[in-house]
Amino acid sequence: MTTLAAARDPKRERLQHAFALLVPAVLFGFLVTSQWQGQQERSQIAVRYNAPLTDAAFALQKEQNDLKAQLQDLRAQLDQIQANAATQGGAASELQTRIADLRAQAGLTAMAGDGVVVQLDDSHTATAGAANLDQAICHSTDLTDILNTAWRGGAQAIAVNAQRVVSTTSVYCVGSTIMVNGTLMSPPFNIAVIGPQNTILGGFDDPNQLKDIKTRRDVQGLGFRVTRATAVNVPAYDGALTVRVAVPQ
Amino acid sequence: MRSNAGGIAATAIALFLGILVVTQFRSQDVYSRSLQLETPASLTTLIANLSDRNNSLRDEIFDLRLRVTAARDSVTSGKGSLNESQHEIDQLKIFTAQSAARGPGITVKIDGTFDDRAMSDLTNELRNAGAEAISVNDARVGPRSWYASGPEKTIILDGRQLNGPWTVKAIGATEVIYVAITRTGGIQGQFALIYPRTRFTVAKESVLELVAVTARR
Repeated sequence: MTTLAAARDPKRERLQHAFALLVPAVLFGFLVTSQWQGQQERSQIAVRYNAPLTDAAFALQKEQNDLKAQLQDLRAQLDQIQANAATQGGAASELQTRIADLRAQAGLTAMAGDGVVVQLDDSHTATAGAANLDQAICHSTDLTDILNTAWRGGAQAIAVNAQRVVSTTSVYCVGSTIMVNGTLMSPPFNIAVIGPQNTILGGFDDPNQLKDIKTRRDVQGLGFRVTRATAVNVPAYDGALTVRVAVPQ
Repeated sequence: MRSNAGGIAATAIALFLGILVVTQFRSQDVYSRSLQLETPASLTTLIANLSDRNNSLRDEIFDLRLRVTAARDSVTSGKGSLNESQHEIDQLKIFTAQSAARGPGITVKIDGTFDDRAMSDLTNELRNAGAEAISVNDARVGPRSWYASGPEKTIILDGRQLNGPWTVKAIGATEVIYVAITRTGGIQGQFALIYPRTRFTVAKESVLELVAVTARR
């Protein structure tokens, strides 16, 4: 009797309900507060520094695209003037042939042909703050290693995400952002390679080459795939030639 | 009634709690690359790099406008465009490393342990700093150059074995390249940490002479 009376005691029941709600309510409040505070801290920093800096970077990238378009237009105009002069034959015609050959070697003309396509991507299981994050994501040195392997295999032309690789090309990394030819890029990277397929594939398949990338692919899930491809398109280089202080001897 | 109301309230809170936990977990868990997530210091460096590139493009556009006008005038006056064509050939021969090159720049002397991947990184850094022509131990680095490790800690450049100590020459804007290589946290500092017993000497040069690239393979 005493036990039953205690179990049905309305005061005790209310207390039990209150406790049942108290724990999730406290957790709920804690999570809402922490998320709100975190959001506020991030946005304060972002508003003060990152937002205007990011806007500036995007504006400069857009300006670069416009400048490259102007440069292409001027190169085409000059080419047309020289081509017209070359129709008269003689020395002008010979020089024009030489220019066309050098432009092709410099990467100033688009190319198409058989080759391979290499895909490099961050691991899709990469977790922020993880101890091995560095191993699971793409670095600029991965790209330079891949370019080196392709040239070693006899590549004739290469482009990274449609940026032609030429004698002055650099792969530059700041934070987690990568630039090729001064153009902002992010993964996945598609590296289009024109050249002898078997030799190039042989280089990529060689276990002694790109050991680090292959280990990270197998262990950390880094995206790295090389495929044989036909009719690979490599665009022309659209940047500056930057020959300013060097003179021919 | 009270029991039902309490149950509904507990369920609603539990549901919100679940959503919040999952949201917070996912937002912290997924690694993402975004310019917005870069630090202000990284963004400033990126902006400086983009500005430099854009300035180079502006300079080249300015030069090219002059050359287009000069070529057009020359053709109109019946002189043809031979001068302009020769100018372009000279420029392209430097760019493709097919002619020997002369100009100011820097030398990097590397005495001690070093390897092909580090040499590739140094070449990349010099190119990023605006080097117009590069050579290693008097072998010119070309547009399709590649490095590999050779026997007895040597470095292979385009199939040619280069023994240490290595001298890397780079023609370009001397101050810009020198600062890019020697700045705090720059590649020279990184090499000094990775190869503590290797001596790296970077020097400015008023005149460097680089040979043309040799035939491939």
